[in-house]
Amino acid sequence: MKNGAKGMARALVAFGVLVAALLLVACGGDDGGIEGGADTGGASTAMAEGQPSGTLTISNWPFYIDNDTVPDFEKATGLSVKYTEDVNDNAEFFGKMQPLLSEGESGGRDIMVVTDWMANKMNKLGYLQDFDQEAVKPAMDNLVPALQSPTFDPDRTFSLPWQAGMTGLVVNTAEAPDVKSINDLFDPKYKGQVEMLTEMRDTVPLVMKADGIDPKTATKEDWLNTIDKIKEAADSGQIRKFTGNNYTNDLANGDAVAVIGWSGDAIQLQADNPDIQFVMPTEGCMIWADNMVIPVGAPNPTAAYAWMNYVYEPKNQAQITDYNYYFSPVDGVKEILEKQDPQAAKSPLIFPTDQYTTNCTNQVDPPGSDEDVSEVEQAFQAVITG
Amino acid sequence: MNGESKPLSRRLVPYWLMGPGLLWLVLFFVIPLYFMARLALESGTLETGFTFSWEWSNFSDAISRYNEQFIRSFVYAGVATLIALVIAYPLAYAIAFRGGRWKNALLFAVVAPFFVTYLIRTIAWTTILSDDGVVVDVLKAVGIVGEDGRVLATPAAVIAGITYNFLPFMVLPIYASLERLDPRLIEGAKDLYSSPRAAFMKVTLPLSAPGIVAGTLLTFIPAAGDYINVLFLGSTNTSMVGNAIQSLYLNLRDYPTAAALSFILMAVIMALVVIYIRFAGSEALMGEEEEAT
Repeated sequence: MKNGAKGMARALVAFGVLVAALLLVACGGDDGGIEGGADTGGASTAMAEGQPSGTLTISNWPFYIDNDTVPDFEKATGLSVKYTEDVNDNAEFFGKMQPLLSEGESGGRDIMVVTDWMANKMNKLGYLQDFDQEAVKPAMDNLVPALQSPTFDPDRTFSLPWQAGMTGLVVNTAEAPDVKSINDLFDPKYKGQVEMLTEMRDTVPLVMKADGIDPKTATKEDWLNTIDKIKEAADSGQIRKFTGNNYTNDLANGDAVAVIGWSGDAIQLQADNPDIQFVMPTEGCMIWADNMVIPVGAPNPTAAYAWMNYVYEPKNQAQITDYNYYFSPVDGVKEILEKQDPQAAKSPLIFPTDQYTTNCTNQVDPPGSDEDVSEVEQAFQAVITG
Repeated sequence: MNGESKPLSRRLVPYWLMGPGLLWLVLFFVIPLYFMARLALESGTLETGFTFSWEWSNFSDAISRYNEQFIRSFVYAGVATLIALVIAYPLAYAIAFRGGRWKNALLFAVVAPFFVTYLIRTIAWTTILSDDGVVVDVLKAVGIVGEDGRVLATPAAVIAGITYNFLPFMVLPIYASLERLDPRLIEGAKDLYSSPRAAFMKVTLPLSAPGIVAGTLLTFIPAAGDYINVLFLGSTNTSMVGNAIQSLYLNLRDYPTAAALSFILMAVIMALVVIYIRFAGSEALMGEEEEAT
């Protein structure tokens, strides 16, 4: 019995230690918790070290890569790649990643692909690392001039385009043959069969353009009024729902006949249903680029550069472009496609003529201060949440 | 020494038995709850950082902005729980009393679909209920759904989804309480000239009340906080409080309001549950008393 008592005493002590540890965790947490705040210390540079090896983890959007590029890359470099398609919407992806990134962690990701405005936002918050320019030079050398100096990253210090593209109408032309303008989405004929993107910077400016407002000079009131108009359509049931990249499911199974969507996705959907097409809205489209960025805490930047340089080889890029049908950011792709797939080389979705995109606008943020932007974002989220 | 330590160790036994559960609760409930409470009282934005400032207005803000979602949540969850009860009780009754040697197979059939993950099952419903699908065609032919009607993206789809997803949580507890029921009690009631209906009302139903209470709680509580069904089967006009929390947390990064909203949800559910248990508990007690006399 004595032994028993001793054992219990020991266990009690152990329990006490445990409780003390928990209290420490709880108190220590007072300074931590979930906190944001911009890291003003300036971005660090992700230096390449020696030969690439190990595992490369990439977060990208769905429908963005063919089935061969990753295995080809693995064969060529000996790296193993974890390619995940877990980006469905910029804001939502940011929401998922933010708690990690604010702690300097990327959840194992070496490369993330986000749209211009999100890359800008992440960089301002100190969540991205600058590129080792020497390591990424082969890729930079092949970057098309048009994408070399965007306003948010004029020297491409932390972002490299994955693909660029257009936001316009994706239409089931058999079910909704006369949808030509964004305004047609508000036609009662298509009540409940219309969807818009949760991506505010795509949906709102397009509806704005349809009302004759130029998104580049739009005021905060213009944004809020347009959001009101969208809200009315959502409340009345005209708009079935707001989606990220998963609008493709609803188009494929016939629940939606006309949506605001992205240019290349239509080509993917045609494999199942040839009637689904990208329609350039009469009032023009939105143009954006999605960028590869290296987050803080990326475990293997060396491999990330190997990947960037690989996909910027015109030959490898042609393979990706031929699948996803977005604007290619790489010089020399057109020449290769002309030989391999003349039809793709002629597509205005991949190589748009100036005339085709004449009314298109580059994606913009709502105007004003951070508070103004977040007020507009809040109004739009209120529409999506109902 | 021995004589003294023996009762002490005895007295400590229940605490030892409670230990692991208690530790679990502290680690994964009390501590997170503390952080959430703190967060709910912070102010600021992601860009400027959040600071603790006893910001009680987060709570009033959350209520005034999302009262619609709140009401919807409890209405949907309530209706879904009722429908689940109406489906589950006869089902559990049939399995318990008429199942015979098929009992286990039937129970397995109730649970089997749930070996597939929640998400996949819900997404599958988007295909089943799709506008051009067979189900909607049949509903149109019968006249339940209008000619240009649809099921997806309506409250009906969301409630149906919730009912389906939580049905086993209703069936299993009711089954367990019916299974334990001594059939001789029903025989006894009949011997004392009870009609089958009276026997059911006076014996079977009261004795299965604990199962009903457990089942309704297990269905209602998670259903009220659910957001997956709305995400896939609903639309903006059917959003529930879970969707509001998700949007606040993931899209607007307004963590304090999201935390405040979660707290309010928790408090309201708790209040409802307490009221329900009081009411249902005394009901069950009365049944037992009647039986005793």
